[in-house]
Amino acid sequence: MIDTKLLDLAVQDLRSVLRDGLIATDIWDRTDGLSLAGFNAQPVAVALFTRITTELESSMADSNFPPLARYYLIDLAGNHTAAVINHGSLLQGMLVDNKRANLGILISVAIPRMLDAVAKAR
Amino acid sequence: MTDRSVSWTDPESVARLLARATAPRRVTATLARVASVARSVRAPAAARPSVPPARVSVPAPPPAAVAEPPASLPVTPARTAVPKLVQLSENPSDRLDTLMAWTLDNQHCTGAFVADDNGLTLAAHGISEAHVSLVGPLLSALVGVRSIPGIDATAGALWLGNNMMSWVEARTERGSFCLGAVGAEALSTEALNQLKEALEVTVRDL
Repeated sequence: MIDTKLLDLAVQDLRSVLRDGLIATDIWDRTDGLSLAGFNAQPVAVALFTRITTELESSMADSNFPPLARYYLIDLAGNHTAAVINHGSLLQGMLVDNKRANLGILISVAIPRMLDAVAKAR
Repeated sequence: MTDRSVSWTDPESVARLLARATAPRRVTATLARVASVARSVRAPAAARPSVPPARVSVPAPPPAAVAEPPASLPVTPARTAVPKLVQLSENPSDRLDTLMAWTLDNQHCTGAFVADDNGLTLAAHGISEAHVSLVGPLLSALVGVRSIPGIDATAGALWLGNNMMSWVEARTERGSFCLGAVGAEALSTEALNQLKEALEVTVRDL
């Protein structure tokens, strides 16, 4: 059982950390694609990253690579970065403006805080 | 992650913090007042129309008349104590902004940054991202140094070619963080201890 109120608080915390560098975020269940919390929700991105993550994990397994750990990043045109966080049965996507949020803040502060917050919401 | 701004912060916070960092200090204000007194002492001589301008500047006023401020001016100590950094916010970005402002305001530096142990910028002002990124290989190189018993190696200074980068490191359960200050000279041991304490206060519970 997921405490969605805690997820909402985690999203608020993420917004305060990344400020206007955070363009959008969603936390969703990877089995049904249901978004549980978010900011500027992007249903198409939820479907896209569910598919990408599933393909990525199966491809890595087929290649005998180590499994996906905490997150992966995609550098997008237009100074944007998509970060996908692996919370286990939940996934989280973040769209970040590179000009407004530092990579160090994203990787060393925002992502670890989200991992802790979502773990507490379970 | 191309073309990123290393000094991005909330515009309002930047304006507020830069105002604090560049605010005229008390010593400066006192010196300005002393200079004003000195000008007023010189003024009568300069105002005499019959004296050629070339001779006005030749006879310097008596040193005592310039050097001695009036009794009403407060005596400012040569060096003011650096206040301890107090973090009032739980927000990591606010805490980093406060640390940046405190560093620029209280240490002899033209730029400052906070980076993680991979050399990724968390906050920076007055320094390029390329310079900040050297923290990654620097901390990696120090792993071997720290293997020597009794060597802490969590602070130091590095000549960059035009400036000196002084840095301190604080370790947390989420990894190490580095606070660097760039200036003409390396910071003193006392200043490095102040930086280290400020960094530890900032990254605690980050």
